[in-house]
Amino acid sequence: MDFPSLIQSIEASAPAQWMRTSLAAMPVVEAIHVLAGATVFGTILIVDLRLLGFPDTRRPVTRVCSEMLRLTWIAFAVSLTAGALMFAANAHTYVGNTAFRLKMLALLGAGVNMALFHGITFRKVGAWDQNAPVPRAARIAGAASILLWVAVIFLARWIGFTKGYDFKIPPHTHIDFQF
Amino acid sequence: MQESIGLYGSAAVSGFADWLQGTSASGAIKSVSWIIPLIQSVHIVMIGVVFVSCLMIVLRVLGVMRTDEPVEAVWRRFAPWLWSALAVMAATGITLVVGEPEREFGTVSFWMKMLLVAIGVSGTALYGRSLKAAAVGAPAEFPVSVRAASILIVIVWLAVIFLGRAIAYDKQVWG
Repeated sequence: MDFPSLIQSIEASAPAQWMRTSLAAMPVVEAIHVLAGATVFGTILIVDLRLLGFPDTRRPVTRVCSEMLRLTWIAFAVSLTAGALMFAANAHTYVGNTAFRLKMLALLGAGVNMALFHGITFRKVGAWDQNAPVPRAARIAGAASILLWVAVIFLARWIGFTKGYDFKIPPHTHIDFQF
Repeated sequence: MQESIGLYGSAAVSGFADWLQGTSASGAIKSVSWIIPLIQSVHIVMIGVVFVSCLMIVLRVLGVMRTDEPVEAVWRRFAPWLWSALAVMAATGITLVVGEPEREFGTVSFWMKMLLVAIGVSGTALYGRSLKAAAVGAPAEFPVSVRAASILIVIVWLAVIFLGRAIAYDKQVWG
């Protein structure tokens, strides 16, 4: 199956049709997406700040990670499900949207950053778990994570303002968009 | 203004929206197309901080998380973040209202959200005070009233987030 027909079949799927036809589906699913996304960001921020040594290094990194990441993954799964439904409803308008593409790139970046951190830096966490300066690699991972997740949220909001009319407006044309 | 009844459709509110719409501040916010998406993005980043800060305190009170720290310490850790992020939300929220008064004032969701924000802010402040009072005797477990208030406060903030998104879909959500 080539890409355009894949996109077409996603849009023709039952969940996608439900998203388009049910009046309340889109706002409710979007609200859930925002809610879960905000929770992903907030919980990851706590881990990232700990990696930056904030507010202090008293709580073990391992403990902060394990208690936060449980919440993060639940919220991420909810957010992903809601996001997939939003995507399915109008798949073709998303794939060509610059903000959407950049958002996926930022998400990928956040994923790679996390994988590198857990796969390499976190292995020797025993040496700096508690009451010790955080190594530079971990601090960089924390800072990068904050930046990438903020970018994800900004780009996500941008999709709503650009999707569906990603075209050049002819000069001297006034178009009144209602959001 | 859309045809609507009650407070949010009243002549006074509608007149105020019209006046606000005509101010130079409103014009400035609308003059550049990326200002409103930018402010909305900051607003959403901040609700993440507010909601999760509140969640951390609540989960500690319920004994689910951070049980290695006293409730007092968890409150001190997250309350400043919660209040600072709320202040940013108020500033960005007001900017959004000034920029698009009719989009906000014309919806049921907006007024319900404002009511719940008022309840959420005063509720969280009262909740913080009740925690300090309850922590004096350092009970292993908080009384049922405090535990119930914990859950209620999370629900209020969840509803605030939902209503924030519902502003854009007011008619679809409320008919």
